[in-house]
Amino acid sequence: MTVSVEWYLLLSAAVFCVGLFGILVRQNALMFLMSVELMLNAGNINLVAFALYWGNLTGQVFALFLIGIAAAEVAVGLGIILVLNRNFDDIDVTEATTMRW
Amino acid sequence: MNDLGTLPDWAGLAPALALVGTALLLFLYDMIEPDSQNNLLLAGIAGIGSLTALGFAGWFLLAGTGQPDRGGAIELFDGQLVVDAMALFFMAIFASVTLLVVVASYDYLAGRANQAAYYSLVMLAATGMAVMATADSFVTAFISLELASLPSYALVASLKQNQGSVEAGLKYFLVGALSSAIFVYGISLIYVETGVLQFGEVATALASGELSGVVGLGILFIIGGFAFKTASVPFHFWAPEAYEGAPAPISAFLSSASKAAGFVLAFRVFLTALPRGSVEGTLDWVIAFQVLAIVTMTVANFAALRQEKVKRMLAYSSVGHAGFVLIALGALTSEANRSFVLGSGMAHLLVYGFMNTGAFLVIALTEHWGIGREIEDFNGLATQAPFACAALTVFLFSLAGLPLGGGFLSKFYLLLAAIDGEVALLAIALVVNSAVSVFYYTRVVKAMWVEEPADDLAIEGYPSGLYVAITFAVVLTVLLLPGFGFVLEFTSTAAETVVPG
Repeated sequence: MTVSVEWYLLLSAAVFCVGLFGILVRQNALMFLMSVELMLNAGNINLVAFALYWGNLTGQVFALFLIGIAAAEVAVGLGIILVLNRNFDDIDVTEATTMRW
Repeated sequence: MNDLGTLPDWAGLAPALALVGTALLLFLYDMIEPDSQNNLLLAGIAGIGSLTALGFAGWFLLAGTGQPDRGGAIELFDGQLVVDAMALFFMAIFASVTLLVVVASYDYLAGRANQAAYYSLVMLAATGMAVMATADSFVTAFISLELASLPSYALVASLKQNQGSVEAGLKYFLVGALSSAIFVYGISLIYVETGVLQFGEVATALASGELSGVVGLGILFIIGGFAFKTASVPFHFWAPEAYEGAPAPISAFLSSASKAAGFVLAFRVFLTALPRGSVEGTLDWVIAFQVLAIVTMTVANFAALRQEKVKRMLAYSSVGHAGFVLIALGALTSEANRSFVLGSGMAHLLVYGFMNTGAFLVIALTEHWGIGREIEDFNGLATQAPFACAALTVFLFSLAGLPLGGGFLSKFYLLLAAIDGEVALLAIALVVNSAVSVFYYTRVVKAMWVEEPADDLAIEGYPSGLYVAITFAVVLTVLLLPGFGFVLEFTSTAAETVVPG
């Protein structure tokens, strides 16, 4: 028995919303990074599931690229969070407010 | 088809290849001499690299590569990349802004650590922007967008001991990561509906058959991604922070080149992949961009009125200019002469590239002198540095749309574009906001020329690199006033290859 393709869309939307919710409420920069990963992976779920549905590999190959880019993004992000910790002694994203909005 | 005479097709990417080659060369040098402080050599390598890229782009433009009469756009790698006149035009903008930034950084970075990394990151970001101009598939579009963004995050935070720089880097990164996730989700929704990612194929798939609401949602998310890259509402919050905290040459780089890169990709995506005719039923992006343009212009210009810091005011003015260029997308109605509308947007981005980079470079100069950031700190600066103040005056008045530089004509043609598209509200918003902007630009000019200098105002030295870059920018800004007709004619022709039908 195969799962019908609409359910994948629903799953990815749910994962995307969890990630978005995390970004809106979390103050810890690392949690923020994890939430962004969830949102990126929601896109991956769509791409992989519909690559099967459409019968081509475009989506799967793009998903592989996305996984690589997400890792690079985290690497840059962790670097920035590291210098944040050195300068502000904290990784709370609401702490760094020397400039006003 | 091959239209460079004896050159192979991939040679069309020469500007991007020159940029990435320079970045790798700088990495190589950094590997051999990790503690090098040889600023002249590093800036020289980066400068020659961007000059080479500019030379290639200029040569191809003059030779007519990618123009219909020379064999048309060059498609590479199975339609993943395309080199046409629009791509080459934007590559020339990125290469010249990179050149200005590199030359200015020579003085700005003197005595700092990690210079090789700084220059190679600038070159990598420029490569990403050049590839964005040629992207012809959502895959290459996203990868090049990230290639432009990731080095930019690091560059903004590159003053590691400076709280402002780190905070700016963090905010830029957080908003950027969020918006690229949103962009990816938008792309995946387009894939859900069509099953393809190449722009032309997406357009074909969308033209045939009933569309579900998924496409509309996808377009909305993709607009969100572009709003971040071009620093428009609703993802503009990062811009004032990032530009204020970043090293001033990087602020110049991001606010000019990065914004232009976002726009060239947006032009291509919305005209070739999501043509209005097929997706109008789900989400009419012309209306969406009209709303975004008006809101962006108004929010940014009124926020700029209240700023006391010059750099922050320029940041808001840069957001406002994103709103002006959005007119070129919002006026693409069925009544409009679409290649003219698009061409005037492209021409404005060229003029803006020089005048805005120049303005930020003068700020870099004042930071080099250790002058404060508030408008009052600029009081009487003209008594000490008349040339720099005259240059800043030209840049600011050109940004405001007064006939001192190319900004006057490019704004005028955007107004004509809005009228051509029969969108009265856009035209009115453009005029009102330009009038508002004259106020805050004039405050800085008045401080420099009219106010009495503070007693302790003293500047030491006239850094040659910064002065060369500023002179170059000011000459081009002024020359674009008489030369604008030529540019507009060219961009309108370039736009014809992108506009369908």
